[in-house]
Order: sequence, then C-alpha cells, then structure tokens
Amino acid sequence: MSTSKRVTRRRLLKDTGLALLAVGSAPVLSTPFVSSAMAESKTLSIVQWSHFVPAYDQWFDNFAKEWGDKNHIDVTVDHIPVGDVAARAAAEASAGSGHDLFGWNGAGGAHLYRKFLVDVTDLVESVEKKYGKITVIGRQIGYNQDDKTWSAFPDFYINFPVMYRKSMWEEIGVVPDTWDNVRTGGAKLKQKGNPVGISLGHSNDPNTTWRGLLWSYGGAFQDESGKHVVLDSKETVEAVKFVTALYKEAMTADVLSWNDASNNQYIDSGVSSLIINPISAYRTAQQLNKKVADDIFVMKPPKGPVRQIMGGAAEFYGIWKFARNKEAALEFLKHYADNWVDAFKASSGYNNPIFANIVPKPMPLLSDDPTSTPRDKLSVLQTSDEWSAVPGYPGPAWPATDEIYNSFIVCDMMAKAATGAMSAEESVKWAAEQCERIFDKWLHKT
Amino acid sequence: MVSIAEPVVKPAPRYRFLLDRRDVLGGVLVAPAILYVLLLVGLPFLLAVYYSVSAYTIYDPSWRFVGLSNFRQIVQNPVFQDTLANTFLFTFGSQFLGLVLGKFGALLLLRQFPGRKIVRALIILPWAVPIALATVAWEWMFDSLYSVINWSLISLGVITRSDAPNWLGNPHLAMLCVIVVNAWRFFPFAIVIFLAGMTSIPQDVIDAATVDGAGFWRRNYQIVLPMILPIVAVGLIFGIVFTFTDLSVVFLLTKGGPVNATSVLGFEGFQVGIVSGDVSHGAAISLFMLPVLFFVVIGMLHFIRRREI
Repeated sequence: MSTSKRVTRRRLLKDTGLALLAVGSAPVLSTPFVSSAMAESKTLSIVQWSHFVPAYDQWFDNFAKEWGDKNHIDVTVDHIPVGDVAARAAAEASAGSGHDLFGWNGAGGAHLYRKFLVDVTDLVESVEKKYGKITVIGRQIGYNQDDKTWSAFPDFYINFPVMYRKSMWEEIGVVPDTWDNVRTGGAKLKQKGNPVGISLGHSNDPNTTWRGLLWSYGGAFQDESGKHVVLDSKETVEAVKFVTALYKEAMTADVLSWNDASNNQYIDSGVSSLIINPISAYRTAQQLNKKVADDIFVMKPPKGPVRQIMGGAAEFYGIWKFARNKEAALEFLKHYADNWVDAFKASSGYNNPIFANIVPKPMPLLSDDPTSTPRDKLSVLQTSDEWSAVPGYPGPAWPATDEIYNSFIVCDMMAKAATGAMSAEESVKWAAEQCERIFDKWLHKT
Repeated sequence: MVSIAEPVVKPAPRYRFLLDRRDVLGGVLVAPAILYVLLLVGLPFLLAVYYSVSAYTIYDPSWRFVGLSNFRQIVQNPVFQDTLANTFLFTFGSQFLGLVLGKFGALLLLRQFPGRKIVRALIILPWAVPIALATVAWEWMFDSLYSVINWSLISLGVITRSDAPNWLGNPHLAMLCVIVVNAWRFFPFAIVIFLAGMTSIPQDVIDAATVDGAGFWRRNYQIVLPMILPIVAVGLIFGIVFTFTDLSVVFLLTKGGPVNATSVLGFEGFQVGIVSGDVSHGAAISLFMLPVLFFVVIGMLHFIRRREI
C-alpha cells in the first residue's frame, strides 16, 4: 500500500493557515524576551545631512561613537542627501516614529515642527551661559518669539560669501564688491567664457543667495513684526529686474538646472569666474584643482543699493517628542556643545558658531589657514555675523517663513522673470500671492 | 445468518464541509487580495479624499472641513495649470515615442539574426534596471558641464562649446529629456507587447495579403496593426496609468525645473504635500489624476471591446 503524498486543497489550506499562525504569533511570544534585552542596551539614533566637507562627517561619526561607548549607548548616525532632509522630517513626523535626534539643514524645521519637538530651552540657556550670547541668526533659527521657548538647538549656520577668481577679475579691472560690479564685470567675463554661476533652481543655495540680493535691494517678503507680507514692492521689482539682467548678461542657462553641488563644480572645474557659496567649494578645489583653488579668493557679499547682506543656511537639532531616548539625545547635545571647537575645526571652518565665545577670535583656521595662500585668505569669514541673516529677515522666523522657504517661492520669482516667463512685476505679484496664501493659513491657525 | 456490521460514518468536521463548498472556498481564497486592496489602496484613497477637503498639514494635523476651497486655490494657481499641461505632454509624448520605438524594435526582433536571443534579453534591461540608477546615469549625460552627448558633438565638430544645448536648463529641452528617458524605460515593454501581438497573427493571413500584392507598409498598417490594436491598447493603458502617476523620472532628473517646466502632478503633489507639508493641497493636486485616468481607461476599454476580433 502506498501512501499518497499528493497535496490536496484542504491540506494546502491547513498548512498555510498553520504557517501564518506561527509567523503571526512569533512577535507576541518573543516580546517578553526582546523587551528585556532592549531595556539593557540603550540606543540613540541621529539623522543629519551629508556634510559638504566629508571629513566633518567622519569626525562626527567617531565623536558620536566614542560618546556612546563611554555611556554604554549604541549610537547610530545616518547621513542623508541635503535635498531629502525636508521630506524625511515630514515622513518621521507623520509616522510618529524615526530617529531620536534630527539634524535639519536650511530652514523649515524648528518652527514648522514645533508641536512635534521637545522644548530644549533649558539646554540652550545653559549653553548660552557657558559660551556666550546667541547671535541674532542663532535666535532666528530655533527661538519661538510668542512663548519665549526654543524648539531646536541651534548648531551652526553656513555663510555665503563671494568666491571669485582673482586673476580673471583683475584682468578686467573690476572688483566684484557690489551687485552692479558683479553684473558688469560678469558680462565681460562671460564673453571670455567665464560666466558668473548662481543657481536659479530649487535648492538651498539659490534660496539663500536670492534672499540676500532681495534684502540688499531693500525688499523682503515679510515686515519686522512677521504679520504682513510686504513682497509686492518697488524694491522687490527692482531686485527682480536686476536678477533678470544678471542672468542674461553674466550667466548661462546652466544655472536653471542646478543643485547645490553644481556651482561648486562650476568654479572648481575652472569655468566660472564667480559664485556665491560656502567655503566647501574652495575646500573641494584645494583637493581637486590646486591651481584654481589658489586663484579663488573670498570676500563679503556684494553691496546692494540699500545694504550689504546675504542669506545664511541654518543647521539645528530637534529632539522628537516620540523619540525613544530623549534623555540621551539631550546629554549628547550637551557633550557636543562642550566640544564644538573640534567640530569647527573638523568642518575646516565651514560651520559658523552660534554662541559668541564658543570659538574665540581670532578663529582657528579662518584667521590663519596653513593650507591657503595667503594664510589669512578666509579671515573675512570671521565677520559673517555682521552680514548674514536667515530666511525670516527682517522679521522673526516662524512656520510661514519656513514653508515659504521650502516652497522655493523666492527662487521661482527670480527665475520666472529671468527666463522671460513673466515680467518682473507679474513675477513679484505671483510670489506675493503665494506668500499671502501661506501667511493667511498660518495666521489663522497659530 | 451472518450479519455484516454497517460501516461507521464519521461526521466530517464542519469546517471541512464549508471548505468543500465552491463559493465559500472562492471567497476565502480571494479575501486576502480584497483585504489588501481595501487596506492599502481603498483606505489611503478615502483618506486622501478627506485630506483634500480639510485644512490638514503635517505641522498642524487639523481635520477641519474646508469644502472645495483647496481645489479652488490650486486651480487658480498658474503653477498647477502648467503642471497639468506638463503631465499630459509628458505622458502622451513618452507613450507615443515608446510605442514607435517598440514597434520598430519588435519588427527587428522578429527577424532571424545571430545573437537574437541575447539582444532580446538585453533590450529588456531599461525596463529592469532600477529607475534611480538609470536616471542618475541620464542626469550625467545631460549635465550642463560634463554632458557626454555635448562632448561627443563638440568632438565631432557638429557644435561648439558655446552652442552646446543646455539639456536640463532649457525648458523645452528639459521636457524633451524627461520624455526621452521615460520612453527609454517604456519601450522594452512596448516591444514585448508588439511581439506578443505580432506572433499571434496567423501566417496565412500575412501570406494571403502578400499574394494579393500588399507590400511591407500596407501589410503593417492595414493588416498587422489593426489586428494587434486591442493588445497594444491594453499595453498603452498600463503605460498611461503608470506614467501619469509617476514622479520618479522628474524628481530624479529635473526636480520639476527649470522654473516648473517639467513639473508633473505626481511631483507637484509630493512637493506641496510632503516637502512643504501642506497635505491638504497636496492631496487635492494628486486627486486631479483620478478623473483623467478614469475617463482615459474607460475610453480605451470601450475602444478595445469594439475592436475585438
């Protein structure tokens, strides 16, 4: 007699059911063991952007690991592309789950996600007591004016000085210290095959640079109170007309498709005569193209008709309310603040301090950089507090300013006029309407 | 007299009896699929519908009902109007190009030549390669500084550096680029569809047409194409639905730029709803796809039914 091994319909169903039951019950059965194991090993997860100075990420990862080893905490640091930070934050907040410590780059975090973030006022005040007053730019990053609290720990800001090829500008006898000079000199250099390169795409660089230009022409998208949109003004129209002329005369259409790395590549490859960018472009050139790097010089942002100012990109840490290890996140930030000079050095002077005395002047590297010729080439960056502001300028930073930043409205206002898709007046009107819509939404909700 | 004991019939368990019923078993087997659709498609869809008529944002998850004001606002926004037009151009442009390439590819692959099997396998690659990898490669080919296309054209003396096209910086060329990349992704699928259709046509029909004096073009466009049209239309429905809702090529290649020239509904919905955190407006933008796709699919299915042989 032979026993049949045929798989019947009934047997298939029975076996599949048992298998599903086993898989489904596994987590329930293992929970008591897993949870006790979890309780014994603490973890801290951090996510932040991939720094434009790769050595900084290496330093940070080792620093975090060493701190974790000392405190018996398993620290993991995830680095994500800068362009993905906003979407990542949105995903973690929506899911109510993710990393413990979230490092934002650019705007759009501390105020937008205020309801989801742990109040870090005590931490910020204790660091302020130790390392001196917080700069205006630092206050704009994470301070909530209405209830005088901090929803994020301000880490550093990134300044945007002029980086120009000295030999090229000397050859035409123009110094790019005013926006008008950038335009007229840039037009001459474009003829020689060395255009100016300022992105008109959707990323942090144009979002900060074009704000700086707008402010230097006396325009802004909100007033000092932060309650009114003031973008539709004569000053803004003039700024937009200038950008249109700058684009047509001194730049090429390349800038319309750029991301944050593109202008770095543009000057490092030897093509561009001027960009407005953090010193990462210069640091990369030092590694890739020493001859070009030696010819790249740094100066304050160009003067406009009203003032000399430039946007700065903010970097700050928030601790999610749903974080599994809030205490460890707070302790890590305290330790990090105590070692901030090392962070500054690891970033080669890219990370600019928020607390007045955390890196005393003369600052290491910036005042005397052994890799630069002359050694004080970067010293002007020590003054960047005087000419940097974050997106809400001249008013406070609040959710509406963050949403306007994330929506790239200022970039599009400039680009629409520059490409001829709209006149300067139409473009300003369009942008003002977009800002009004966002302000209306937030003014009624907050 | 010998009495034979009657066999004892064990009553079958109740669940066995139930599972032996065809209608019950069918229901049990199809239930996971229905649950899947309800939980992972139906529920999010209903949620999206509610988001679109609410004031919900990521930062302020308010369920306050605002009626159709989100739709009114986005329709009045010129960026959305451009995005809607771009979506049609992107979808139908890439599908048309993909179909043309697919038809020619299928004709070539029907012929006998050495290495045909290898070519058939290789030609599927664009469809099989992860889109992120493929698009990054295309991005460098279209790069403003390092474009290999421009470099080749300059080296051949066709253009000069100053005349080199700015693939992703010029609004029209950028749209062409995203269409080409999407058509490149779609055309292997079109080849498979055309091959399936063309190999199913009885040879005697083709022979009869040839005997009657029909040449290559007449055979193709008056005999073959009408006969395979229903199967091509099914492939086209897939292509249109996937392309109309796709954001990957645009997101990876142009980020909707320059100045929203390549922004499509999927990308704009993601940008507004997730990156800017305005979920309600993002949902309203995304829901615009629904009526369009509904009418396109209904129209095409109606066409297929009428043309079925």
